Amino acid sequence: MLEIVTRLLFATLDAAPALVFAALGAVLSERAGVVAVGIEGMMRVGAFCAAVAALTVPTPLAVVGGMLAGAALAAVHAYLCIRWRSDQVVSGIALNLVALAGGTFLLETHYGPNGTPPIQQLTAWDWPALSSVPLLGALSGHAAPTYLALALPFLLQALLTRTPLGLRLRAVGDKPHAVATLGLSVPALRWGAVVGGGLLAGLGGAVLSTTVLDRFEQHTPAGLGFMALAAMVFGRWTPLGAFLAAAFFAFGNALRIGLASSAPGLLELVPQGVLLALPYVLTLLVLTLQGQRSRAPAALGVPYEQESR
Amino acid sequence: MGERARQALPSVLSVLLSLVVCWLLIALTRDADGFTTATAAYLQMLWGGIGDWPTFLGGSPVAVLTRPIGEAAMKAALLTLTGLSVAVAFKVGLFNIGAQGQMLLGALAAAVVGSHVELPALLHIPAALLGAALAGAAWAGIAAALRLYRGVHEVISTIMLNWVALRLVDNWLVVGPLRGVAQAGASITGTAEIHASAALPRLLGDVSRLNLGFPLAMLAAVAVWLWLERTRTGFETRAVGLGDEAARAAGIPVARRAGLAMALAGALAGSAGAVLVLGTEGRYPGTLGAPYGFDGIAISLIGNNHPLGVALAALFFGAIRAGGTRMQLLDVHKSFPELIQGLALLFVAGRLIWLSVLRRRRAPAPVLSAPTAPTPEAPHA
Repeated sequence: MLEIVTRLLFATLDAAPALVFAALGAVLSERAGVVAVGIEGMMRVGAFCAAVAALTVPTPLAVVGGMLAGAALAAVHAYLCIRWRSDQVVSGIALNLVALAGGTFLLETHYGPNGTPPIQQLTAWDWPALSSVPLLGALSGHAAPTYLALALPFLLQALLTRTPLGLRLRAVGDKPHAVATLGLSVPALRWGAVVGGGLLAGLGGAVLSTTVLDRFEQHTPAGLGFMALAAMVFGRWTPLGAFLAAAFFAFGNALRIGLASSAPGLLELVPQGVLLALPYVLTLLVLTLQGQRSRAPAALGVPYEQESR
Repeated sequence: MGERARQALPSVLSVLLSLVVCWLLIALTRDADGFTTATAAYLQMLWGGIGDWPTFLGGSPVAVLTRPIGEAAMKAALLTLTGLSVAVAFKVGLFNIGAQGQMLLGALAAAVVGSHVELPALLHIPAALLGAALAGAAWAGIAAALRLYRGVHEVISTIMLNWVALRLVDNWLVVGPLRGVAQAGASITGTAEIHASAALPRLLGDVSRLNLGFPLAMLAAVAVWLWLERTRTGFETRAVGLGDEAARAAGIPVARRAGLAMALAGALAGSAGAVLVLGTEGRYPGTLGAPYGFDGIAISLIGNNHPLGVALAALFFGAIRAGGTRMQLLDVHKSFPELIQGLALLFVAGRLIWLSVLRRRRAPAPVLSAPTAPTPEAPHA
């Protein structure tokens, strides 16, 4: 039994980081009042650029390249939404479409239809002292992103709730005019949050193609960005909440895969499709139960205008 | 320049700019003869969308025209319906990102009615269409109800509902309870084949896949336009979209109008699914794949959320996307037109940039010291 749980935890820790980073990126952007529908597209460019970069430079450096690519796409989003007050949902969806079709086009012209050539994956770190301990053994044998995904949510939570900068970021998502009266720049704070969100989403994408896979595969990230949005909502727009939700979704997924191979009879009672739909159904349920008390930032999606009100 | 034309200008310019940018993209990713290749690829896209006129005039049979036009019309019909779905929701002030999910359920309903019910053709097609419209409307109705009664933002709920629909339909219903029975040892994926009586008739016989779905979609665009412009409920719907407080003060039943518009949006997206299944697929395939529901968002916004603008945008993108398959002759991926469409949407999103650029051009030559020129920070458009 303990053995099975350890294996499940291991699979979860292996698969969760991409989702965690993307969800944290979404939280950062939305807490500052900018809708993060474009997360999926940012993950895709991050995954693509990391895989392409890893063909020539060392993989860790390529991951940084993927982050920068995600941030670049986020900068387009910020430019349209903050500088030109475009509709944030429209801009995000447009970026998703561009990333989807653009990735397919570049992949086809340079590497053929299926994916980039295989690359060197990030090295997994073994902790011999841990690997023999039951349960804790699941912590050993992952690449660096896994450990970062375990620490970053706490750091981001501390940043948002315990520092002046975090207070300002949250305020800019709830009452931007109040921040402006303090003499702070609303656009600058939002730019920072959106580009930071892009860095994290790009990291999530890069993790997909450098640890989960060993290449950029045509359909990456196949909806993971939208699941990150679900995790953000489920986690009530807080870094720790989003982290727990993402971990929960990833664990559920590992459990489903495990059951599919070890106990196929059980899956005839509850079909796979129902299990796959569960994260989204649960998110809808949580929203329904919270109703008006949902914790969405008050100024989410509202372009900031100095002269308004 | 008329007001109508001025409204449409940013969209037209966005599409043109996107065409230029994408042309450069092909040209610059080629090692040799980039510009010739890009132009040749664009020509293939054109002939693949509006018919291969050069070979036709050179003496080829008429099929070189009707086949591409049929493909273009088929795609245009789907884009029109999902575009209208998004546009109708916009008119009442809601953002329907859920056209994809509503379309999936509509497609499934059409496939079930088409294969499990036996009716004469005159009744079967309307029944299947109605089933699809109701399924789409019901799925959209969930988002509407969550918004009206629980205050859940429809952008989030429709994104979630898209994935719920996809997972339940593609990963469960179509591979499980509703899977078609294989005949004579042949294994099939997807639901059972629909009866011939439910198939949308082909309008040009065997030389083209052009079917009844196209005129139906065009009719839907005109009907939605007339409804919004010429009827009381349509007017009230637009009033709610322009400002629900004012609409409420004027005695308009805001919740009912919003609910009705969202249901209509779902019905339109559901019909798109029906046109896909009854017109070309013949059943709900193993996976529907085609993201026409998401495309509807782009079509609606490029069409300026106007029903006739939606139809125009759908005709244009239907044609170039049908032409995408012929771009493969020049090693350009067949999804390339989707990139053109995505970039066009991105440029449309920067609407205020266009307006600011256009205003600057119209304004008289600025005097350096005069502070009268409107700054982009405070547009009054």
